[in-house]
Amino acid sequence: MTRALSWLFSLIALVAIAGVVGLFAWQSVPVWRQEGWGYLTGVKWFFRQHQFGALPMIYGSVVVAAVALLLAAPIGFGAAIFTAEYLPRRLRLALKILIELLAGVPSVVYGLLGILLLRDWVYDAFARFDPLSGDTLLTAGALLAVMVLPTIFTLSDDALRSVSSAQRQTARSLGLTRAETIFSVSLPQAKAGLSAALLLAFGRALGETIAVFLVVGRQDNNLPASLFSLRPLLDPGQTLTSKLGGSETNIAYGDPKHWAAMAGLGLILLVMTGVVTLLGTGFGRKSDA
Amino acid sequence: MKQLPFVLSVFALAAGSAFAETLKVNGSTTVNLPVAEAAEILRAEQKLDIQVDTQGGSSGGISMLGDGLVQVGMLSKHVSDDDRAKYPAVKFNEIHIGEDAVALIVSKDVWDGGVHALTRQQIKDIYESRITNWKDVGGKPQRIAFFNKEPGRGTWEVFAHWTYGSPKDAPQVSFPEVGGNEETRNKVAGTRGALSQLSSSWADGKKVFALGIKLDDGTVVEPTNENISTKKYPLSRPLFLLTNGEPQGAAKPLIDFVLSGRGQDLIKKHGYLRLKDLKEP
Repeated sequence: MTRALSWLFSLIALVAIAGVVGLFAWQSVPVWRQEGWGYLTGVKWFFRQHQFGALPMIYGSVVVAAVALLLAAPIGFGAAIFTAEYLPRRLRLALKILIELLAGVPSVVYGLLGILLLRDWVYDAFARFDPLSGDTLLTAGALLAVMVLPTIFTLSDDALRSVSSAQRQTARSLGLTRAETIFSVSLPQAKAGLSAALLLAFGRALGETIAVFLVVGRQDNNLPASLFSLRPLLDPGQTLTSKLGGSETNIAYGDPKHWAAMAGLGLILLVMTGVVTLLGTGFGRKSDA
Repeated sequence: MKQLPFVLSVFALAAGSAFAETLKVNGSTTVNLPVAEAAEILRAEQKLDIQVDTQGGSSGGISMLGDGLVQVGMLSKHVSDDDRAKYPAVKFNEIHIGEDAVALIVSKDVWDGGVHALTRQQIKDIYESRITNWKDVGGKPQRIAFFNKEPGRGTWEVFAHWTYGSPKDAPQVSFPEVGGNEETRNKVAGTRGALSQLSSSWADGKKVFALGIKLDDGTVVEPTNENISTKKYPLSRPLFLLTNGEPQGAAKPLIDFVLSGRGQDLIKKHGYLRLKDLKEP
């Protein structure tokens, strides 16, 4: 009985996921038919001319999420090492709960904080590079960094705690200092779990909408000439989510090609976050073994 | 493709029958100001249940009314023939409730730098990125940070109508985009060298400043109420409530109230022109 039920519920979940992907794929058929692979590699999005290239938005999403990880990973890992390796159990739990509370703050609140503090700070702090306004990819990335920090922290903390204390004790009894134990035993042992933390945080950053929407500038077709320059981080951009959250979704309604193009963005986002999350979960599994 | 709106409208119908008296209103943030206040009064005085929302601006109002998700739309532009073609079964009924002007607004540094008016050609040049610095239109050297109103906003359509004759003839450009009036005002106020299109009633003359339009003969027309009502100021637009056919049910008291003396005073309170103001020359 229990077994049959659990099969049933797993099946429902599976059908739901397949259904969502299938729906977006089916809704976006007209745009794939018109643009082909050019839909993914095209650099111009002008919906009134029915020209749909999603690359600048894919670029925007990836860059913003990457900036978030670069900023959040050192802090998240550092905090996790501190709580997992140094703090006594009770204090560790108290701190963990506090930081996990941060994960529950609605994203629109972070977005408003971004408008209130971060945008002006970026605008003034980088004034010598002459940003056009405070709405930049960097602003969005920095805001996302705060939002994914709890994810990175709490998963890394779990990964480090799952390294057996027998190994730590052995290392200590061999004469390694505490710091040496962390760097040559705990971190290598928790590598898979730490990677999983990063990947899951990346997935969350890719999917975040409203906070990014408020500070990213929403400028279409702003693909930089060079991918290796840092200056474009101070330009406004567009992510997949900020595009989908904007007014175009309303306008696209009723225009089959345009609607298909918007649904296609949803499909791209779904596949990107899906792959990253699956990879992350896969890494997490390995660390349990 | 066509199924999704259908599925959504089934949900809307299901929700609608459960809360039969809830009147749902959606559309332009410009029209929202007086209408939300009118809804507040009707809620208190007549116990009407009215939800007012501003998703997607005027276009959102049209599409959600077209799909039956709301009973009243709020528009700051006419329903286009394209919209009517998209929803052949819907009888769009525009109810004129007032008039608003679109101003080109700039941040304080631009205003203090001496730019107080622009010609249509200068505006075109800025829109098409041929002019990118304020020094080329009589201001101090500073890059122009142009925030374009996002597509679907009534403000943008009025701007495109006047500048290019029709929104369809406006060239495709990619600028940072802004949505509602609050966002536009705040971003322009907080950015050096900023320019955007905004409902003129929102230009407070403290943080954001409304530019005049310099006509071909050299005269400058400011977006004052007088210039708007005499149509001397060219960038103005009608404000509408939109229904499917004649207003029915809870929509009727709302529309009657907005057209009444008290309702029209709300229009004036928020800086727009009443129907009465338009009739007087």
